[in-house]
Amino acid sequence: MGRSLLWVLGLLVLAALLSAPSWTAEQPYVLHMLVLMCIFAIPAVGLNLMLGYSGLVSLGHMGFAGLGAYTAAVLMVDARWSFWSALGAATIASGLAGVCIGLICFRFRGHFFMIVTLAFGLLLHAVMNNWDEVTRGAAGFAGIPRPRPLQWGDEVISFGPLPHFYYLALGLALLAFAVQYLVVRSDLGRILSAIRQDERLARSRGVDVLLYKTVVFALGSALAGVGGVLQVSFLRVAAPASFNMLESINTVLIVIVGGAGSLMGPALGALLYVGLPEWLRLANEWRLVIFGGLLVLITLFAPAGLAGLLSSLWRRLSPPRGGSS
Amino acid sequence: MGEVLLEQLINGLMMGSVYVLVALGMVLIYGVMHVVNFAHGVLFTLGGYLGYFFYHRVFDSYPLAIVLAVLSLAVIGVLLERGVFRPLTGNLRNQVIASLGLILFLENLVVALWGPNALQWKVATTEHWVQLGELRFSLHHLGIIVVTLLLVTALGLFLKYTRFGTAIRATSQSQEAAIVVGIPVRTVQWSSFALGCMLAGVGGALVGPLFLVFPQMGDVPLIKGLAGILLGGMGSVPGAVIGGMILGVTESVSTLFLPTDYRDSIAFMMMVAILLLRPQGLFGQRMRGED
Amino acid sequence: MSILQVSGLAKAYGGIRALEEVSFDIAGPGIYGLIGPNGAGKTTLFDAVAGTVKPDSGRVMLQGQDVTGWPSHRMARAGISRTFQECRVLAEESCLDNVLFAAQPKGLGASVRQLITRASGHRRHLREEAMRLLSMVRLQDYAHQPAALLSFGQRRLLEIVSTFISSPEVFLLDEPASGVNPALLEVLADFISAMYAERPRVFLVVEHNMEFIMSLAQDIIVMHQGRVLERGTPAQVQASPAVMEAYLG
Repeated sequence: MGRSLLWVLGLLVLAALLSAPSWTAEQPYVLHMLVLMCIFAIPAVGLNLMLGYSGLVSLGHMGFAGLGAYTAAVLMVDARWSFWSALGAATIASGLAGVCIGLICFRFRGHFFMIVTLAFGLLLHAVMNNWDEVTRGAAGFAGIPRPRPLQWGDEVISFGPLPHFYYLALGLALLAFAVQYLVVRSDLGRILSAIRQDERLARSRGVDVLLYKTVVFALGSALAGVGGVLQVSFLRVAAPASFNMLESINTVLIVIVGGAGSLMGPALGALLYVGLPEWLRLANEWRLVIFGGLLVLITLFAPAGLAGLLSSLWRRLSPPRGGSS
Repeated sequence: MGEVLLEQLINGLMMGSVYVLVALGMVLIYGVMHVVNFAHGVLFTLGGYLGYFFYHRVFDSYPLAIVLAVLSLAVIGVLLERGVFRPLTGNLRNQVIASLGLILFLENLVVALWGPNALQWKVATTEHWVQLGELRFSLHHLGIIVVTLLLVTALGLFLKYTRFGTAIRATSQSQEAAIVVGIPVRTVQWSSFALGCMLAGVGGALVGPLFLVFPQMGDVPLIKGLAGILLGGMGSVPGAVIGGMILGVTESVSTLFLPTDYRDSIAFMMMVAILLLRPQGLFGQRMRGED
Repeated sequence: MSILQVSGLAKAYGGIRALEEVSFDIAGPGIYGLIGPNGAGKTTLFDAVAGTVKPDSGRVMLQGQDVTGWPSHRMARAGISRTFQECRVLAEESCLDNVLFAAQPKGLGASVRQLITRASGHRRHLREEAMRLLSMVRLQDYAHQPAALLSFGQRRLLEIVSTFISSPEVFLLDEPASGVNPALLEVLADFISAMYAERPRVFLVVEHNMEFIMSLAQDIIVMHQGRVLERGTPAQVQASPAVMEAYLG
C-alpha cells in the first residue's frame, strides 16, 4: 500500500511540474524559481553521486560547473556553435576535467582529499577570474544566447520565453535524476556504496576502487557542467562569482540538507534553497544564515537530511505490514 | 631595485604575519582535535567586525578593542567546540560539513548585521609613518609584524615551558597516551580550540584597519592558512610559522615578476604542489593513512 | 603445479624486517594452519599474499601464475580472497546483500553493461545459493536485517560466508576465531570444514587459538621471526621442541 501511494504522489508531482506554466501563469516568478531549482539541482545530483553515494567529499564541485559554463559560453559566442553542440562539448570537457583532477585527488584520503579538491576548485575559479582574453575575467561574460529556436513541423519554438526555457531546464533535470536512479539502483551503484562504507573491504572483494572513483567523479563533474551551461544560458551571462568556493559550499549544503545518499535529496535541497526565502519573505542574507544553521543542525541531529526526515515520518504514518520488505 | 625588493620583503613579512596567525590557530586545532577547521576564515572575519564594533561603539581605544574582540572570540570558540565539534567527534566528514555550515551561518550573519558593504576602520596607527631609508611604512604595517612576533614567542614559550602547554603538546602527539597519563583531554580540546579562535580573531582585528572590514575578508586568509600549514607540515607549530612566512614573502616578491592578479593563485598552486610532492610538508610526520 | 607457492618473500617496514625470507609450497587443496608467536610475520605474510602490501622481494605464484605485488582487487579476481582479523562487512547492507555483493561481478565493463540492460538474470540462482549459505551458518533469519545488528561472532560468520560464495582458489582466513564467543567456535569450525568438504580448495588459516586450529587443520606452518620455522601435522608441530622454544623463549 505504501509503495503504490508513493508512486501516485510521484506522478502527481510530475504532473504538476509538467503543467507548471499553466498554474503559474499569474505568478511568473514561481516559474522562474522552478527554473532556478532545476539549475541548482543538476550539479547537486552530481555531487550526491560523489559525496552521498560514494563518500567523496569534494569541496570544489562548482569549479566544474564553471568549466562547463565557460566552455559553452566561448563555443556559443566566439565560435558560434549551437547550444546543443556546446552543451555536449561542455559536458565532455567537465567530465574529462573530472577524470584528470580526480586522479590527482584520489592519491589522498580524509582531510587531504578534501583540501586538494578545494584547491582545484579555487584554481578553476582563479582561471575564470583572471584569464581575461578567454573568459572576460571578473567582469563576467555577457551575451550568452538562449538555445536557437527549434523547428517542430510548422511551429518554431524559441527559448526566449520563460515557459519554453522551463521545459528545457525541467527536461535536463529529469534526465539528471534518471541517470542518478539508473546508477544507484544497479551493480555500479552497489559498488560505489561499498566503496563508501568500507574501501578496504571493497578492494578485497575485487573492486578496482580507483577506477570506480574516477568514473563517479567524471560523471559528477559532467553533471555539474550541464548545470553550469543551463545556468549561463538562462541568465545570459557567466560570472566567476557563480562558481567560487562559497557556491561549492552551497552545493554541499543542498546535498546534505536535502539528504545525502538519497534519490530525492538533491531535489528537496534545491527546493528548499531556492524556495525558502520566497516563502519566508526574507532578505537574502538571512536565507543563508538559516541555511548555514540548518546545515549544522542537520549534521548534528538529522544526518540523513530532509529525505531522511520525510522517510521516517512516512514510516511512522504507514501502518506496519507483516513480513519483511 | 634593491629598494623595491626590500619594500616587498617587508610587505611579505607583514602579510606573512597575518597568515601565520591564521595558520597557528588552525594547526593548534588540528593537532589536538585532528580536524581542519574550515570555519577558521569566518572567525578571522568576526575578529575584524568585533574589533570594529568595540572600537566604535564601546571604547575608542584600538588595543582595548582588540582585546575585547579576542575575548569574545574565545567565548565563541568554546561554544563552537562544545556545541558543534565535540558531539561530532570521530566523524571527520560531518565535522567538516558542520564547519562549512558555520561558514555560511557566520559569514551571512555578519552581512545581516552589518550590511554587505565594506567598512572603513580608521585607527591611529595607520596614520603614523615610519621611515626606513627611502621607504615609508605605516606604524600599523610594522605593528602587525611585531605583534605577531610577540604572540608567536609567547605561544612558543607557553607550549614548551608551562604545564598546560605541555599537556597540549602531549595531546597532539597521542590522545590515548595523554588520557593514560591523566591529562584532561577535554579541557585541552576546548581551550586549544578557543586559543585557535583567539589567534584568528587577532588576525582579523589587526588586518581590519589596514584593508577594509568586509564579510568575505576571511575567505582568502583561510586558504592562505591552509597553504601555510600544508607547507609547514600538518601538525607542526613551527611549521605553521615558517610556512605562513614563506607564503607571505613569496607572494609579495612575486608581484615584482607576475601580474598581481595571479598572486593568490600562488597559494593554490603551492597547495597542490606540496600535496603531490611532499604531503608531509617541511616538518610534518609521514601522513597516517586516514582511511 | 602447486596451487600456492611462496618463495623468498621479504618485507620491511622502516627498520623492522617483518618478513626475512619466507618460502613454502602448498601443493593441493586442504585446510592449512599458519601459526607463530607475536611478531612472527603472519599478518604481513597474509597481507603480501592477499595483495594488501607489496613485498620487497620474492615471489608469490598462484597455480603457476606470478601474482607477486598485484593489488588486492586483482588478487581477489585471480582467486585469492581473504577475511580480516577485525572482521569487515558492509554494515549498512542486509546479510543477504552482503553475500550477493561478494558474488557480483566487479569489472567496469560488466557493471556498465548491467547498468544499461538492467539485467538480473542469474540473480535468482545466486539468491538461492546465498540463502543456502546463510542457513549453513544459521543466519537465514537475519537475511534482510542490516549486518550492523549482528553480534560479532555472527558478523564473522557472515564475512566468511560472503568470501566463500566467490569461490576463491586460495581462501585466506585471518584469525577467524578471534573475538568469537567460545560457544560459537564449534559452529565456526564445523562450518569451515563443511565449506571445505563442499569445495576443496586451499584454506590458509592464521590463528592464535591453538585448540581451534589444531583440530581444524591437517597441515600446520609455523612462522618465527619472519621465516618458516617448521611444518608438519598438528601432532608433529605440537611435539616439536623448536616450536615450543619459539613460543616460550
